[in-house]
Amino acid sequence: MEIVVAVKQVPEISEVKINRETGTLIREGVASILNPFCEYALDHAVRLKAANPEIRITALSMGPPQARAALLRALELGADRAILVCDRKFAGADTWATALTLSEAIHQFVPGYKLILVGKQAIDGDTAQVGPELAEMLSLPQISYGIEAELTAGLKRIRVKREIESGYQIMEARLPALVSFSKGEVIRRAPSFKEILGARAKQIKVADASELGLAEKEVGLSGSHTHVVKIFPPSQKVHGRMLTGLEAGEAGREICLFLKDRGIPTDSDMRYRT
Amino acid sequence: MLLIDPQKCNACKLCEHNCPFEAIKIVDDQPEVDDSCTLCGSCINVCTRGALSIKRRIVSARELAQYRGVMVIAECELRDGVLQPKKVVYELLSKGRQLADKLREELVAVAMGDERMASLDTLCHHGADRVLRCIHPLLGEFSTDGFCTVLSTVITRLKPSIVLYGATPNGRELAPRVAARLRLGLTADCTGLDIDEQGQLVQTRPAFGGNIMASIIAPNSRPQTATVRPNVFTADYLDPDRPVQVQKQPVHLSKAAIRTRVVSEIRFPCEEIAKIEAARIIVSAGRGCCKEKDLKKAGLLAEKLGGAMACSRPLVEEGLMPHTCQVGQSGNTVCPDIYIAAGISGAVQHAVGMNSSKTIIAINEDPEAPIFRIADLGIVGDAGQILSALLDALHTPSPASDSGQSEAGRGVGIAD
Amino acid sequence: MHEITSSLPPACDFNEVRRVEGFDRIREQYPDFLSDESKLTMGPFDLLFFPANESELSAVVKEMVRRNIPITVAGARTGLVGGCVPPEGALVSLAQMSKVLAVYHAPYAREWRIRAEAAVRLADIDKMAESKRFPDLEKSQDPFVIEQLRLYGGEQQRYFYPPDPTEMSASIGGSVATNASGARTFRFGPTRDWVRGIRVMTMTGEVLDIPRGKYFSSPSGWFTVYDGKGSCYPVRIPDYQMPRTKNTAGFYASPHMDLVDLFIGSEGSFGIITSVDIALLAWQPKCSIILFTESDERALHLVETLRSDKRLKLDFLEFYSSSAMDLLRDMQAGDPRHVGMPAIPESAGAAVFFDVGFDPLEEKPDFRALEESTASAGVYLADSWAGYEPRELARFKAFRHLLPEKITQVLSERKKTYPGLHRLSSDLAVPDEHLFDMWRLYRTQLDQAGFEWVAFGHVGNNHLHVSTMPRNMEELERGLRLYAQFAQKAAAYGGAVSAEHGVGKIKSKFLAKMYSADEINQMHAVKTALDPDMLLNPGNIFAA
Repeated sequence: MEIVVAVKQVPEISEVKINRETGTLIREGVASILNPFCEYALDHAVRLKAANPEIRITALSMGPPQARAALLRALELGADRAILVCDRKFAGADTWATALTLSEAIHQFVPGYKLILVGKQAIDGDTAQVGPELAEMLSLPQISYGIEAELTAGLKRIRVKREIESGYQIMEARLPALVSFSKGEVIRRAPSFKEILGARAKQIKVADASELGLAEKEVGLSGSHTHVVKIFPPSQKVHGRMLTGLEAGEAGREICLFLKDRGIPTDSDMRYRT
Repeated sequence: MLLIDPQKCNACKLCEHNCPFEAIKIVDDQPEVDDSCTLCGSCINVCTRGALSIKRRIVSARELAQYRGVMVIAECELRDGVLQPKKVVYELLSKGRQLADKLREELVAVAMGDERMASLDTLCHHGADRVLRCIHPLLGEFSTDGFCTVLSTVITRLKPSIVLYGATPNGRELAPRVAARLRLGLTADCTGLDIDEQGQLVQTRPAFGGNIMASIIAPNSRPQTATVRPNVFTADYLDPDRPVQVQKQPVHLSKAAIRTRVVSEIRFPCEEIAKIEAARIIVSAGRGCCKEKDLKKAGLLAEKLGGAMACSRPLVEEGLMPHTCQVGQSGNTVCPDIYIAAGISGAVQHAVGMNSSKTIIAINEDPEAPIFRIADLGIVGDAGQILSALLDALHTPSPASDSGQSEAGRGVGIAD
Repeated sequence: MHEITSSLPPACDFNEVRRVEGFDRIREQYPDFLSDESKLTMGPFDLLFFPANESELSAVVKEMVRRNIPITVAGARTGLVGGCVPPEGALVSLAQMSKVLAVYHAPYAREWRIRAEAAVRLADIDKMAESKRFPDLEKSQDPFVIEQLRLYGGEQQRYFYPPDPTEMSASIGGSVATNASGARTFRFGPTRDWVRGIRVMTMTGEVLDIPRGKYFSSPSGWFTVYDGKGSCYPVRIPDYQMPRTKNTAGFYASPHMDLVDLFIGSEGSFGIITSVDIALLAWQPKCSIILFTESDERALHLVETLRSDKRLKLDFLEFYSSSAMDLLRDMQAGDPRHVGMPAIPESAGAAVFFDVGFDPLEEKPDFRALEESTASAGVYLADSWAGYEPRELARFKAFRHLLPEKITQVLSERKKTYPGLHRLSSDLAVPDEHLFDMWRLYRTQLDQAGFEWVAFGHVGNNHLHVSTMPRNMEELERGLRLYAQFAQKAAAYGGAVSAEHGVGKIKSKFLAKMYSADEINQMHAVKTALDPDMLLNPGNIFAA
């Protein structure tokens, strides 16, 4: 049984800084990682495989040549093979063009797939759109925000525990289907050094646009419906005051004055109302 | 156009039964499509053989101009046994009203649900010119397939130029599904919307966890669709005298179109969430304020200021606070008048949930903590100690408090 | 050259130096200054100075000497032996001397160096070296400093400061004064190996500028220090042999030694280090590996195999004993997030940690040597955790440092019942051939005594921290006697009684286990030659 885990390489977001003058991202020295939500999807694929050894896991990514690093991580963590769709023509793809490219790659290289697993969103773009768009393009039912998954007897259906607003839901769909995950292993897994070396012994298939049979106008920026017209830094609080080296008592009084200046009644027996 | 692969088709008639427009008929064991097909795509999903596909062509500027009006998806939730619009819907209507006025086009709200649906007159009071009620027993509970099918039909029929969804979990699941089906541009989680000189929707959204803003347009497809972050726009439009026009929309939906099944459900009481979302003052505790006594102080302070207490993710993970109190990417989005971040470093995942707060006060031991970049008042120090001191200070009004002295330098650095 | 002359910094008014007077005020405003990480506290002291530069420091030193008031010097107060805890007199905090002065390329040595004042923290040095951003230098008016900064910023290669003494909030001055070492000492040596020069203030209030490689002891073992007034201070280097292990007990001494080495690791006995020049090394990408073994003995066997394989270049070789693994399993059972790593495999009896050079994008990495070496010790790379991304390197490092925290936690719980209880911790290193001997001694003695104990640390240097967690006061008493025996035995094996923590005030009594009375007298002679009135850092090394 074939499972495809679609993954993305992302910058380790907590380290991203902004050049205030130019308004651009300082990517220098920022490590790239496998998007944590994609890693969760992979965690679940590996768990399903542990219960059903006939499963074969393919990690699929669209990205620049460096995205190979994210696929290596996927192989270390238990993917059986990896495919990188990589072409300069893919640059500037919005979620639509990305989903289209991925769906073609899946048709082409994993035609017998039964299950597509994705992370609920990537931590750089945060759109959470590629999963549902991919599901629609492949005409698959989708289950989103999964936290647990199991295949029912005969591998005909998947049953997913998913997060909903203010609770959980158990949802079921017939295969083939697409599931997005918002949680995986609580603690990030650590492969063995043997698995790290083993991942490097595996081939990563690299395919370009022509191999996918996609025309230039269907992919990348020209295949995108949305265009970014402006990038700018979020409005900064220009007059933010920062106080250092205050005694706790002084600091407390500062905050109290600050609240008062903003019209917050601070007497102990009064309540703030609007 | 709709393409049919006769090799794959087994004439099961599922497409015929599921077409909302009765555009497909099985004739001589082969589907035939007539002119009433809108390419809504409902048939493709129900086909078990993969025999159907759609080939679309690029639309011309003239065709784009046929799309008119702003549509707001009125997501409903069950309250007191009645399906009622969520808070974000009113925010969307206020914003949608502005956009529609700018375009001089109509504002339509679309609500999907079953017979428990409220009357929805309020949607008109909040700015909608008309409301479409899509009522069907299969819409009582959210399903991506069901809602996508119904909504795609409505959009195809109505041809609005803009469609707005709340960026709720369901909204963010539904919108891309519809966008992919109808080949539309979609912008996620917008925090700003405007109309440019060409009458295009300019959608602004944060990326890289709020480190950068991007303005996005969709020049070649209509409608332009976006999900909009809750609690960003204010629901300030209200006119109880506006004419009410609620229309019942015919819904064609079969069970086969819904390919997922809810087996069971556990719901937590959601008072906490409602409290945090409504609070004007929030005291939020993070890793640097996680000792039991510190949390007590934060709670006490919230109570004293008449606000609510919240927290960042580590405290939920440590089991110190319930998930319902969590602010940030995987928790609630809030925008109170005052947000006091005690011992929160302000990693982007947290910041996205609170950085639209009107005023932010940050207390943290690390002067480099990113929270200080978005704080109006930043204090470097131990959160627990400073909260105690603040509680004391609230007890004893300072004599200097009314002289406006707080703006004076007092030998401290002023950050940029 | 064995003769050196000190010079007087520009004069300044003693009364201008920032200070706190009176013990009550010090205790109220600066309670942290009463102790260091040893938690030792001593008698009251009435003066606390915060000199901002060498001139102010000089004014303080001269005034204290004039008034015959002893001076204790404090850096970041992270020491474990009470070195900066004043018994009386004045405490001089160097906290205000915390500027980076330069980053520069030394053309002959072909290396990048940083010159920094004593109180700059190691964590900041690490951060600046890596990010190539030096806020202190960007404002500089000195064209040389600006030019060198620009050149360093233009380097593609990443650099780092190799000594990694775990406690990164330590000050660079303190780490040089104590010759700090840590895990990476296994490959890169202790702090001493990376110091390229120091400036040090003697009790005359004058400064010696000592680059490495300029001043060496005379053939008969002498240095002569002149001050600006022409007074002469002859110093004779002790003639004892240093142990063949890493060592922080006693003054460094060797024939034809560099004067800079006399000050490094002397724990402030002869002077106050005001600034240092340290060398940086090109950073190579690496992979952290935690290798599990079935037993402690198998782990030690693996250590011997790995370090004798000359094909391997491991940054460090560290160890968690089987009892340590059990303690961590307990933690994981409580809340796995406190450990931050996946569940420790049930089969894991002990663990050995090391880093290997590793380029993640290399097509066919060749680790046959490592595979062969570990397999020959009966250990397999499949039984491991490994990670190479920056976040993984940080996570693995945190795991290596987790155990001491856990021990502290266990003991603070027990202290509630027995307030006088404390952990027993060894800091003994022995030569390679005695690794197993020392291990057997620990194991039989501690097991026989029925103690709860764990071993961890720098096994590559035969330098294990063996920590016992006494359950009551009786166990503590028996444990103290046992630990004294351990020190005796380590010294008999030709090892060091304080391999990295130093002597300070807490371990001065151990010195006699390693050195004869005559040798200690020779050390004393060096001390009195440079500090005749014994006013500097009283109580350190030589018990008062």
